Amino acid sequence: MIALNPQTRKKLARFKKIKLGYVSFLILGTMIALLAVAELFVNSRALVVQYEGNLYFPTYADYYPGTAFGGDYSYETNYRALQARFQTEDQGNWVIMPIVPFNAYENDATGGIMRPEPPNADRGHYLGTDTTSRDILARLVYGTRTALLFAFAFMVSVYIIGIVIGCAMGYFGGVFDLFFQRLIEIWSNIPFLYMVIIVFSVIPAEASIPVRIMLLLSVMVLFSWTSMTYYMRTETYKEKSRDYIAAARVIGAGTPRIIFKHILPNVLSTLVTFMPFTVVSAIAAITALDFLGFGLPVPTPSLGELLKQGTANLRTAPWIVTAAFGTLVLILTLVTFIGEAIRESFDPKQFTLYR
Amino acid sequence: MKRLLILVSIFSVFACSDKASEPETLTIIDNTAEVEAFYRDNPDFFKFKSIDDLPEGLNWIDGSDLPEVGSPEAQKGGTETVRLADFPRTLRTVGPDSNGSFRPWILDDTTMAMAHRHPDTLAYFPGLALRWAVDESSKSVFVELDPKATWSDGVPITADDYVFIFWFFRTKYITAPWYNNWYESQYTGITKYGDHVIAISIPELKPDTDSKVLELRPLPRHFYREVGEDFLERYQWRFAPTTAAYILKPEDLNKGRSVRLTRDPNWWAKDKKHWRYRFNLDNINLVVIRDTPKVFEAFKRGDIDQFGLNLAEYWYDKLPDTDPAVAGGYIEKKWFYNVRPRPPYGLWINSNQPYLNDQNVRLGIQHATHWQLVIDQFFRGDAARLNTANDGYGPYSHPTLTARPFDIEQALAYFKAAGFTERGSDGILQKPDGTRLAFTLSSGYEALKDILTILKEEAAKAGLEFRVEVLDATAGWKKVQEKQHDIHFSAFGYSLELYPRFWETFHSDNAYDKAFLGDGEVNPDRKPKTQTNNLELVAIPEMDSLINRYRAASDAESMIDLSHRMNELHFDYGSFVPGFKTGFFRLGHWRWIRYPENFSYKHAAGATQFFVHWFDETRKAETESARQTGNTFPPEVTIYDQYRAL
Repeated sequence: MIALNPQTRKKLARFKKIKLGYVSFLILGTMIALLAVAELFVNSRALVVQYEGNLYFPTYADYYPGTAFGGDYSYETNYRALQARFQTEDQGNWVIMPIVPFNAYENDATGGIMRPEPPNADRGHYLGTDTTSRDILARLVYGTRTALLFAFAFMVSVYIIGIVIGCAMGYFGGVFDLFFQRLIEIWSNIPFLYMVIIVFSVIPAEASIPVRIMLLLSVMVLFSWTSMTYYMRTETYKEKSRDYIAAARVIGAGTPRIIFKHILPNVLSTLVTFMPFTVVSAIAAITALDFLGFGLPVPTPSLGELLKQGTANLRTAPWIVTAAFGTLVLILTLVTFIGEAIRESFDPKQFTLYR
Repeated sequence: MKRLLILVSIFSVFACSDKASEPETLTIIDNTAEVEAFYRDNPDFFKFKSIDDLPEGLNWIDGSDLPEVGSPEAQKGGTETVRLADFPRTLRTVGPDSNGSFRPWILDDTTMAMAHRHPDTLAYFPGLALRWAVDESSKSVFVELDPKATWSDGVPITADDYVFIFWFFRTKYITAPWYNNWYESQYTGITKYGDHVIAISIPELKPDTDSKVLELRPLPRHFYREVGEDFLERYQWRFAPTTAAYILKPEDLNKGRSVRLTRDPNWWAKDKKHWRYRFNLDNINLVVIRDTPKVFEAFKRGDIDQFGLNLAEYWYDKLPDTDPAVAGGYIEKKWFYNVRPRPPYGLWINSNQPYLNDQNVRLGIQHATHWQLVIDQFFRGDAARLNTANDGYGPYSHPTLTARPFDIEQALAYFKAAGFTERGSDGILQKPDGTRLAFTLSSGYEALKDILTILKEEAAKAGLEFRVEVLDATAGWKKVQEKQHDIHFSAFGYSLELYPRFWETFHSDNAYDKAFLGDGEVNPDRKPKTQTNNLELVAIPEMDSLINRYRAASDAESMIDLSHRMNELHFDYGSFVPGFKTGFFRLGHWRWIRYPENFSYKHAAGATQFFVHWFDETRKAETESARQTGNTFPPEVTIYDQYRAL
């Protein structure tokens, strides 16, 4: 067990007392935990296949061709069809499918026509299908997972750069500070969305999807780290002039030690309160980019792409926009509640409306 | 650094637009001397004779007995609001940025040529010409111009306006290499016999020799007197005097938002047969609305009068026959089967890329793309499978070739022959050395991107991975023109021609700078040639010789035979995966927009192409009040299938 500093323990206790934020935190935490293993719940691959006495667990394994289970095709087994076949054959073989037996890419057209279909629990499409008969819940789950992963990666990168440069500016001051201030002023005036669009239009097609996502992330980080530096700079300036820093210096502590061991923990509360809002803005940004068609490459599932489809089919398929919009609202609300609670519990002035 | 450059270019764009609003301080140019010198320097091309020199015994045709286009019931008047997807970047009809979706409004669909193909019979009816004659001995077409014809500014149209096009389209000032090449290579001379008779000659006689000449459109010589080095900027926003019924007044150009066309009450052809029942609307208001769903909503409100329903989701789901507006008779739905060359929607494989240069891989891809699924489930069976790149040319299209079907086993066999023998951990085929069978599948058709994802899912079953890349239209086209693509989903817009063109798409001259060495060996150092339509980089000596014979041939029979042989050769090469074709167009329109009895014409590309519709003021008032009171009319959903292909 990590020994927490009594101050931190007090803050955590205060956070727990703010019910709205704490419950939101628990909900979001559970969601993230579930999303991490989404393949177990939303997948076209079976959880377990029992075939001629052997057990197979295809979820995280390499693909099994149809021939592995007595089929006559060499491509990936269609487990839904396999389940039906085993049932009719009735030879003791069985398949356990996930709750949502579809992946985010396959077209499952009822009646041989691809079009949006309303939610239908019997077919396993709990939120309906999109314009090419793909399962919306599946696309939503994997889209949300990407968005959250993206947002957290974004936050971590922005903070690392922001903290290092901000602290350095505040600590060293002088010419270094002056130079970076001017640089940041110029840099932060470059319209970020346009830059992403421009940069993204010149990425070569050969780049695989993870590489493209990484590139998108780095471009966004490149144009977003500046805002954090202002706060870090002022906080560091403030802390730097305190006696304990002078004392540390007299003892002979080096610059990195002073910054990371003494100053950083003391300015952390400022940082922590900003975190949830950074996450919110990252999710909003990636969704907006996808909506505009400059985000994740086709056919990667994403919230923005679903929103776009939804608005294009507002009259004929309202379930698309409802699902995407609902998810977005839910996540952003949860994160905002958590953010408010964190801000509150880390605030030295004991006053709150959120309790 | 690159980013800085981009920034700089953005700033300079703004700077330029500022400059444009300053009062014009252009130098005065008069190119009369230059043009006349050009005529003098090319005496074999430009000949000036008197009317007495006109050869005798010409077989004059005037096309006046062809049926009218449009309906005698048509009324003049009204304003139609039409959507523009993007504001035009220029009012020029030639040069960079001119070939956009706006050009048909000021050139292709509205202006007059010497004669036009009748959309039902394909015979020519007169436009600016009174009569014409094909003279086979001199490979020329003689044309007598209608002396009544004038430009919209009142200046008469004379032979000089035709002679001038052979200077204009050949000058470098217009920055249009295709035009330069076409007017240099496809015509061998123009002879002026007085003010109203010309003869234009072409290199080889063809089954449609007349079309090469009759479809030429004159240029207003007096307006283009200032063409020079700064042509692009100088003429960027000038509206040229036109032969069309519609003119554009400077005050009706609302930059970035809308363009308003006005019917010219003094149009010279307003009482002319074949023209008098067309161009009925007083005003056409072209409004920029980028987003198609938004356009559809505007249409359903009645702000926009007509909406294309070609896509199945619009015809069946978004505007079904049960929709109150349709069931109540406010909006009419029309489905018209037509006969014309079909745009070759399909996958254009760059046969110069690694692995794609292997015929086995290409044939495997043919069998690994499930177009039938796209046709059945995405187009709901309305489209049909395209069989060759040249469908819809009547006898010139191959009668028996059929596209290869989706067949996993055959695809696997071809891929195996190419060395892709085993499936990787995700089911994608690979060579023993780990090379994956994966290609980029790009397209500039945002609206059809779902097709690509369907193909991707199905191809994975045959062990083939498509990396889908959806670009905007301009970037997509640039990519294939630079020959940077692996596999590209696209189509060419074919105009109404009797027989297909092959040189552009299949000749090795358009594939590589120097495809073959002197002895017919493949040149190992050849470089792909950019900015041509040979998207597959087809370079086959046999194909080249067939194309050359085809271009030199003048009788239909041998051209048909050659066309079939080239299509077979192309089929065997396997670099084009034929996709789908649609044999019809569909339209929804408010009931105050009226069409002739048969709605459209056998060879029409779209309902509005010939401007035969008109605006019925009484019906508009009637409909508006019915919408208020809830009255309804009998529903109108009509399928015109008299030209449906069997």
